[in-house]
Amino acid sequence: MIFLRLYLSFLKIGFSSFGGMTMIPIINDEVLRYGWMTSAQVMDIVAIAEMTPGSLGINCATFAGMQIAGLLGALCATLGVMTPSLTLCLAAAVCIERLKGNRWLEAALKAVRPVSFGMLLSVVITMSAVFVDQSHIMWNRVLISAMVLAAMKKWSLSAPKAIVLAVVLGLVMGV
Amino acid sequence: MEDRGGKGRLATIFVTMFRIGCFTYGGGWSIFAQLEEEFGEKRGWLSKEEFLDIMSLARSFPGIMVINMSVMFGYKVCGVPGAMAAAFGLSAPAFIVISIVTFCYEALMRNALVARAMIGVRCSIVPIVIVAAARMKKTVLGGWVTWVLAAASFLLCLCSGLNKLVMILAAGLFGMAIWRPVKEPEQGEEP
Repeated sequence: MIFLRLYLSFLKIGFSSFGGMTMIPIINDEVLRYGWMTSAQVMDIVAIAEMTPGSLGINCATFAGMQIAGLLGALCATLGVMTPSLTLCLAAAVCIERLKGNRWLEAALKAVRPVSFGMLLSVVITMSAVFVDQSHIMWNRVLISAMVLAAMKKWSLSAPKAIVLAVVLGLVMGV
Repeated sequence: MEDRGGKGRLATIFVTMFRIGCFTYGGGWSIFAQLEEEFGEKRGWLSKEEFLDIMSLARSFPGIMVINMSVMFGYKVCGVPGAMAAAFGLSAPAFIVISIVTFCYEALMRNALVARAMIGVRCSIVPIVIVAAARMKKTVLGGWVTWVLAAASFLLCLCSGLNKLVMILAAGLFGMAIWRPVKEPEQGEEP
Protein backbone atom coordinates (compact mmCIF):
# COMPACT_ATOMS: atom_id res chain seq x y z
CA MET A 1 0.00 0.00 0.00
CA ILE A 2 1.37 3.32 -1.09
CA PHE A 3 0.50 5.19 2.12
CA LEU A 4 2.26 2.68 4.32
CA ARG A 5 5.27 2.64 2.02
CA LEU A 6 5.47 6.43 2.10
CA TYR A 7 5.25 6.40 5.87
CA LEU A 8 7.97 3.75 6.22
CA SER A 9 10.32 5.42 3.74
CA PHE A 10 10.13 8.74 5.49
CA LEU A 11 10.43 7.01 8.85
CA LYS A 12 13.72 5.62 7.62
CA ILE A 13 14.77 9.05 6.34
CA GLY A 14 14.00 10.50 9.76
CA PHE A 15 15.94 7.87 11.64
CA SER A 16 19.04 8.09 9.42
CA SER A 17 19.58 11.82 9.40
CA PHE A 18 21.04 14.21 11.89
CA GLY A 19 19.77 17.63 11.06
CA GLY A 20 19.44 19.84 8.02
CA MET A 21 21.18 18.97 4.81
CA THR A 22 22.35 15.54 6.00
CA MET A 23 18.85 14.43 5.12
CA ILE A 24 19.43 14.93 1.37
CA PRO A 25 21.44 11.76 0.65
CA ILE A 26 18.87 9.55 2.34
CA ILE A 27 15.94 11.33 0.71
CA ASN A 28 17.71 10.87 -2.62
CA ASP A 29 18.09 7.12 -2.02
CA GLU A 30 14.52 6.51 -1.02
CA VAL A 31 12.60 8.59 -3.55
CA LEU A 32 14.79 7.52 -6.47
CA ARG A 33 14.53 3.86 -5.46
CA TYR A 34 10.77 3.83 -5.80
CA GLY A 35 10.79 6.25 -8.72
CA TRP A 36 8.77 8.72 -6.68
CA MET A 37 10.80 11.73 -7.76
CA THR A 38 13.59 12.45 -10.23
CA SER A 39 16.89 13.82 -8.97
CA ALA A 40 16.02 17.14 -10.62
CA GLN A 41 12.85 17.23 -8.51
CA VAL A 42 14.87 16.54 -5.37
CA MET A 43 16.98 19.60 -6.19
CA ASP A 44 13.83 21.62 -6.81
CA ILE A 45 12.45 20.68 -3.42
CA VAL A 46 15.72 21.56 -1.70
CA ALA A 47 15.43 24.99 -3.33
CA ILE A 48 11.76 25.29 -2.41
CA ALA A 49 12.57 24.25 1.14
CA GLU A 50 15.19 26.99 1.36
CA MET A 51 12.77 29.61 0.05
CA THR A 52 9.75 28.69 2.18
CA PRO A 53 9.39 28.47 5.95
CA GLY A 54 9.93 25.12 7.59
CA SER A 55 12.67 22.55 7.68
CA LEU A 56 13.89 20.50 4.75
CA GLY A 57 12.53 17.26 6.20
CA ILE A 58 8.93 18.42 6.56
CA ASN A 59 8.97 20.24 3.23
CA CYS A 60 10.40 17.31 1.35
CA ALA A 61 8.01 14.80 2.91
CA THR A 62 5.03 16.98 2.13
CA PHE A 63 6.17 17.57 -1.44
CA ALA A 64 6.92 13.92 -2.20
CA GLY A 65 3.80 12.62 -0.46
CA MET A 66 1.58 15.14 -2.17
CA GLN A 67 3.00 14.36 -5.61
CA ILE A 68 2.71 10.63 -5.18
CA ALA A 69 -0.56 10.20 -3.34
CA GLY A 70 -2.23 13.55 -2.71
CA LEU A 71 -2.96 15.16 0.62
CA LEU A 72 -3.24 11.88 2.52
CA GLY A 73 0.12 10.83 1.10
CA ALA A 74 1.62 14.11 2.25
CA LEU A 75 0.23 13.50 5.72
CA CYS A 76 1.66 9.95 5.90
CA ALA A 77 5.09 11.04 4.71
CA THR A 78 5.20 14.00 7.09
CA LEU A 79 4.15 11.87 10.05
CA GLY A 80 6.83 9.38 9.05
CA VAL A 81 9.62 11.94 9.07
CA MET A 82 8.37 13.33 12.40
CA THR A 83 8.12 9.94 14.10
CA PRO A 84 11.71 9.82 15.43
CA SER A 85 11.12 13.13 17.19
CA LEU A 86 7.76 12.02 18.54
CA THR A 87 9.11 8.73 19.90
CA LEU A 88 12.85 8.65 20.52
CA CYS A 89 13.21 12.31 21.35
CA LEU A 90 10.11 12.30 23.54
CA ALA A 91 11.55 9.37 25.46
CA ALA A 92 14.78 11.35 25.80
CA ALA A 93 12.84 14.34 27.10
CA VAL A 94 11.41 12.15 29.86
CA CYS A 95 14.86 11.25 31.14
CA ILE A 96 16.66 14.45 30.12
CA GLU A 97 18.49 14.70 33.45
CA ARG A 98 20.11 11.30 33.01
CA LEU A 99 20.98 11.86 29.36
CA LYS A 100 22.56 15.26 29.37
CA GLY A 101 26.30 15.05 28.99
CA ASN A 102 26.02 11.28 28.59
CA ARG A 103 29.37 10.10 27.30
CA TRP A 104 28.10 7.06 25.46
CA LEU A 105 25.84 9.30 23.46
CA GLU A 106 28.70 11.69 22.78
CA ALA A 107 31.00 8.85 21.74
CA ALA A 108 28.41 7.50 19.30
CA LEU A 109 27.80 10.94 17.82
CA LYS A 110 31.49 11.61 17.40
CA ALA A 111 31.50 8.79 14.83
CA VAL A 112 28.02 9.36 13.40
CA ARG A 113 28.65 12.99 12.48
CA PRO A 114 31.64 12.35 10.16
CA VAL A 115 29.66 9.56 8.48
CA SER A 116 26.72 11.93 7.89
CA PHE A 117 29.23 14.45 6.57
CA GLY A 118 30.71 11.93 4.13
CA MET A 119 27.22 11.13 2.89
CA LEU A 120 26.54 14.80 2.31
CA LEU A 121 29.74 15.16 0.29
CA SER A 122 28.79 12.17 -1.85
CA VAL A 123 25.52 13.87 -2.69
CA VAL A 124 27.48 16.77 -4.19
CA ILE A 125 28.91 14.30 -6.70
CA THR A 126 25.52 12.71 -7.37
CA MET A 127 23.94 16.09 -7.86
CA SER A 128 26.60 17.14 -10.33
CA ALA A 129 24.52 15.12 -12.80
CA VAL A 130 22.75 18.42 -13.34
CA PHE A 131 25.79 19.56 -15.34
CA VAL A 132 25.36 16.78 -17.88
CA ASP A 133 22.62 16.61 -20.48
CA GLN A 134 22.50 13.67 -22.89
CA SER A 135 26.18 12.93 -22.14
CA HIS A 136 27.26 16.48 -22.96
CA ILE A 137 28.77 18.70 -20.30
CA MET A 138 26.70 21.87 -20.12
CA TRP A 139 29.37 24.50 -19.46
CA ASN A 140 26.86 27.28 -18.94
CA ARG A 141 25.43 25.32 -15.98
CA VAL A 142 28.90 24.74 -14.53
CA LEU A 143 29.46 28.47 -14.86
CA ILE A 144 26.19 29.29 -13.05
CA SER A 145 27.23 27.00 -10.17
CA ALA A 146 30.69 28.53 -9.99
CA MET A 147 29.28 32.05 -9.99
CA VAL A 148 26.78 31.22 -7.24
CA LEU A 149 29.53 29.59 -5.16
CA ALA A 150 31.81 32.60 -5.64
CA ALA A 151 28.99 34.98 -4.66
CA MET A 152 28.16 32.94 -1.56
CA LYS A 153 31.81 32.99 -0.51
CA LYS A 154 32.45 36.62 -1.31
CA TRP A 155 29.36 38.24 0.19
CA SER A 156 28.43 35.34 2.51
CA LEU A 157 25.00 35.18 0.88
CA SER A 158 22.35 33.14 2.63
CA ALA A 159 20.81 30.26 0.69
CA PRO A 160 17.54 32.06 -0.21
CA LYS A 161 19.51 34.99 -1.64
CA ALA A 162 21.78 32.62 -3.55
CA ILE A 163 18.68 31.04 -5.08
CA VAL A 164 17.33 34.42 -6.16
CA LEU A 165 20.68 35.06 -7.85
CA ALA A 166 20.43 31.63 -9.48
CA VAL A 167 16.98 32.43 -10.85
CA VAL A 168 18.39 35.52 -12.55
CA LEU A 169 21.41 33.60 -13.88
CA GLY A 170 19.12 30.81 -15.08
CA LEU A 171 16.92 33.25 -16.98
CA VAL A 172 19.93 34.89 -18.58
CA MET A 173 22.03 31.87 -19.46
CA GLY A 174 20.09 28.70 -18.64
CA VAL A 175 19.43 26.35 -21.52
CA MET B 1 7.56 27.38 38.69
CA GLU B 2 3.78 27.68 38.68
CA ASP B 3 1.32 25.16 37.28
CA ARG B 4 2.62 23.19 34.35
CA GLY B 5 -0.40 22.18 32.35
CA GLY B 6 -3.84 23.41 31.50
CA LYS B 7 -5.53 23.95 28.18
CA GLY B 8 -4.48 27.59 28.11
CA ARG B 9 -0.84 26.65 27.97
CA LEU B 10 -1.40 24.05 25.30
CA ALA B 11 -3.17 26.59 23.12
CA THR B 12 -0.42 29.13 23.72
CA ILE B 13 2.22 26.59 22.77
CA PHE B 14 0.42 25.60 19.58
CA VAL B 15 -0.31 29.16 18.46
CA THR B 16 3.17 30.44 19.23
CA MET B 17 4.86 27.50 17.54
CA PHE B 18 2.60 27.98 14.53
CA ARG B 19 3.63 31.62 14.35
CA ILE B 20 7.31 30.76 14.64
CA GLY B 21 6.80 28.10 11.95
CA CYS B 22 5.33 30.68 9.58
CA PHE B 23 8.31 32.97 9.56
CA THR B 24 11.31 30.83 10.19
CA TYR B 25 13.67 30.23 7.38
CA GLY B 26 16.74 28.17 7.73
CA GLY B 27 18.21 26.31 10.57
CA GLY B 28 17.84 25.42 14.17
CA TRP B 29 19.55 28.36 15.77
CA SER B 30 17.00 30.94 14.70
CA ILE B 31 14.13 28.81 16.02
CA PHE B 32 16.05 28.21 19.21
CA ALA B 33 16.51 31.93 19.68
CA GLN B 34 12.81 32.59 19.14
CA LEU B 35 11.75 29.83 21.53
CA GLU B 36 14.06 31.23 24.14
CA GLU B 37 12.64 34.71 23.69
CA GLU B 38 8.96 33.68 23.65
CA PHE B 39 8.95 31.13 26.42
CA GLY B 40 12.09 31.94 28.36
CA GLU B 41 12.43 35.69 28.56
CA LYS B 42 8.80 36.70 27.99
CA ARG B 43 6.97 34.01 29.95
CA GLY B 44 9.65 32.49 32.15
CA TRP B 45 8.42 28.94 31.60
CA LEU B 46 11.92 27.53 31.29
CA SER B 47 15.31 28.78 32.33
CA LYS B 48 18.22 29.49 30.01
CA GLU B 49 19.99 26.35 31.25
CA GLU B 50 16.98 24.21 30.48
CA PHE B 51 16.91 25.61 26.95
CA LEU B 52 20.59 24.87 26.44
CA ASP B 53 20.13 21.28 27.65
CA ILE B 54 17.26 20.86 25.21
CA MET B 55 19.30 22.30 22.36
CA SER B 56 22.28 20.05 22.90
CA LEU B 57 20.18 16.89 23.32
CA ALA B 58 17.96 17.68 20.33
CA ARG B 59 21.07 17.76 18.19
CA SER B 60 22.08 14.35 19.47
CA PHE B 61 19.00 12.52 18.23
CA PRO B 62 18.07 11.54 14.71
CA GLY B 63 15.32 13.31 12.87
CA ILE B 64 14.50 16.91 12.21
CA MET B 65 16.40 18.97 14.71
CA VAL B 66 13.87 21.74 15.16
CA ILE B 67 11.07 19.22 15.70
CA ASN B 68 13.24 17.37 18.22
CA MET B 69 13.79 20.64 20.00
CA SER B 70 10.11 21.54 20.07
CA VAL B 71 9.11 18.07 21.31
CA MET B 72 11.52 18.35 24.23
CA PHE B 73 10.45 21.88 24.98
CA GLY B 74 6.73 21.02 24.81
CA TYR B 75 7.22 18.01 27.04
CA LYS B 76 9.03 20.03 29.69
CA VAL B 77 6.25 22.58 29.81
CA CYS B 78 3.11 20.49 29.36
CA GLY B 79 3.99 16.80 29.19
CA VAL B 80 3.11 14.66 26.18
CA PRO B 81 0.21 16.88 25.01
CA GLY B 82 2.60 19.82 25.11
CA ALA B 83 5.14 17.94 23.00
CA MET B 84 2.46 17.17 20.40
CA ALA B 85 1.15 20.74 20.39
CA ALA B 86 4.67 22.10 19.87
CA ALA B 87 5.68 19.64 17.14
CA PHE B 88 2.48 19.92 15.12
CA GLY B 89 2.24 23.65 15.63
CA LEU B 90 5.73 24.15 14.25
CA SER B 91 5.28 21.86 11.26
CA ALA B 92 1.74 22.86 10.25
CA PRO B 93 2.68 26.06 8.35
CA ALA B 94 5.30 24.26 6.27
CA PHE B 95 2.83 21.48 5.53
CA ILE B 96 0.21 23.94 4.31
CA VAL B 97 2.61 26.05 2.26
CA ILE B 98 4.25 23.08 0.56
CA SER B 99 0.90 21.45 -0.20
CA ILE B 100 -0.08 24.58 -2.10
CA VAL B 101 3.31 24.88 -3.81
CA THR B 102 3.16 21.24 -4.95
CA PHE B 103 -0.32 21.83 -6.28
CA CYS B 104 1.01 24.59 -8.54
CA TYR B 105 4.38 22.95 -9.27
CA GLU B 106 3.41 20.90 -12.34
CA ALA B 107 1.61 23.79 -13.97
CA LEU B 108 4.48 26.18 -13.25
CA MET B 109 7.09 23.81 -14.63
CA ARG B 110 5.30 23.76 -17.98
CA ASN B 111 6.00 27.46 -18.33
CA ALA B 112 9.13 27.87 -20.45
CA LEU B 113 10.42 30.85 -18.49
CA VAL B 114 10.02 29.09 -15.15
CA ALA B 115 11.73 25.99 -16.53
CA ARG B 116 14.65 28.16 -17.60
CA ALA B 117 14.89 29.81 -14.20
CA MET B 118 14.74 26.39 -12.51
CA ILE B 119 17.85 25.27 -14.39
CA GLY B 120 19.69 28.08 -12.64
CA VAL B 121 18.10 27.11 -9.33
CA ARG B 122 19.18 23.47 -9.68
CA CYS B 123 22.72 24.57 -10.44
CA SER B 124 22.72 26.61 -7.22
CA ILE B 125 21.94 23.58 -5.04
CA VAL B 126 25.43 22.16 -5.56
CA PRO B 127 27.18 25.27 -4.17
CA ILE B 128 24.57 25.58 -1.39
CA VAL B 129 25.33 22.03 -0.24
CA ILE B 130 29.08 22.66 -0.53
CA VAL B 131 28.80 25.75 1.67
CA ALA B 132 26.67 23.84 4.21
CA ALA B 133 29.23 21.03 4.27
CA ALA B 134 32.09 23.48 4.70
CA ARG B 135 30.30 24.96 7.68
CA MET B 136 29.82 21.48 9.18
CA LYS B 137 33.45 20.54 8.69
CA LYS B 138 34.80 22.39 11.71
CA THR B 139 32.54 20.76 14.27
CA VAL B 140 32.59 17.33 12.67
CA LEU B 141 36.18 16.59 11.75
CA GLY B 142 38.82 16.42 14.44
CA GLY B 143 41.52 13.77 14.54
CA TRP B 144 42.38 11.25 11.87
CA VAL B 145 39.73 8.71 12.86
CA THR B 146 36.94 11.12 11.96
CA TRP B 147 38.64 11.88 8.62
CA VAL B 148 38.83 8.17 7.85
CA LEU B 149 35.18 7.71 8.80
CA ALA B 150 34.09 10.58 6.58
CA ALA B 151 36.18 9.32 3.66
CA ALA B 152 34.91 5.76 4.08
CA SER B 153 31.33 6.91 4.19
CA PHE B 154 31.86 9.11 1.13
CA LEU B 155 33.30 6.21 -0.87
CA LEU B 156 30.70 3.70 0.33
CA CYS B 157 27.92 6.03 -0.73
CA LEU B 158 29.35 6.47 -4.19
CA CYS B 159 30.45 2.90 -4.85
CA SER B 160 27.91 0.75 -3.04
CA GLY B 161 24.22 0.66 -2.41
CA LEU B 162 24.74 0.09 1.29
CA ASN B 163 21.74 1.05 3.38
CA LYS B 164 22.44 4.41 5.01
CA LEU B 165 20.56 3.60 8.18
CA VAL B 166 22.86 0.60 8.61
CA MET B 167 25.88 2.87 8.09
CA ILE B 168 24.63 5.30 10.75
CA LEU B 169 23.98 2.51 13.25
CA ALA B 170 27.36 0.95 12.57
CA ALA B 171 29.04 4.32 13.05
CA GLY B 172 27.26 4.78 16.38
CA LEU B 173 28.44 1.40 17.64
CA PHE B 174 31.95 2.05 16.36
CA GLY B 175 32.05 5.38 18.17
CA MET B 176 30.92 3.80 21.42
CA ALA B 177 33.54 1.11 21.03
CA ILE B 178 36.56 3.31 20.39
CA TRP B 179 35.66 6.36 22.46
CA ARG B 180 34.25 4.25 25.26
CA PRO B 181 33.86 6.42 28.33
CA VAL B 182 36.28 5.52 31.05
CA LYS B 183 35.09 5.80 34.60
CA GLU B 184 36.36 9.04 36.05
CA PRO B 185 35.28 10.70 39.25
CA GLU B 186 34.48 14.00 37.50
CA GLN B 187 31.44 12.47 35.84
CA GLY B 188 29.55 12.54 39.11
CA GLU B 189 29.95 16.29 39.47
CA GLU B 190 26.64 17.92 38.89
CA PRO B 191 25.55 21.28 40.13
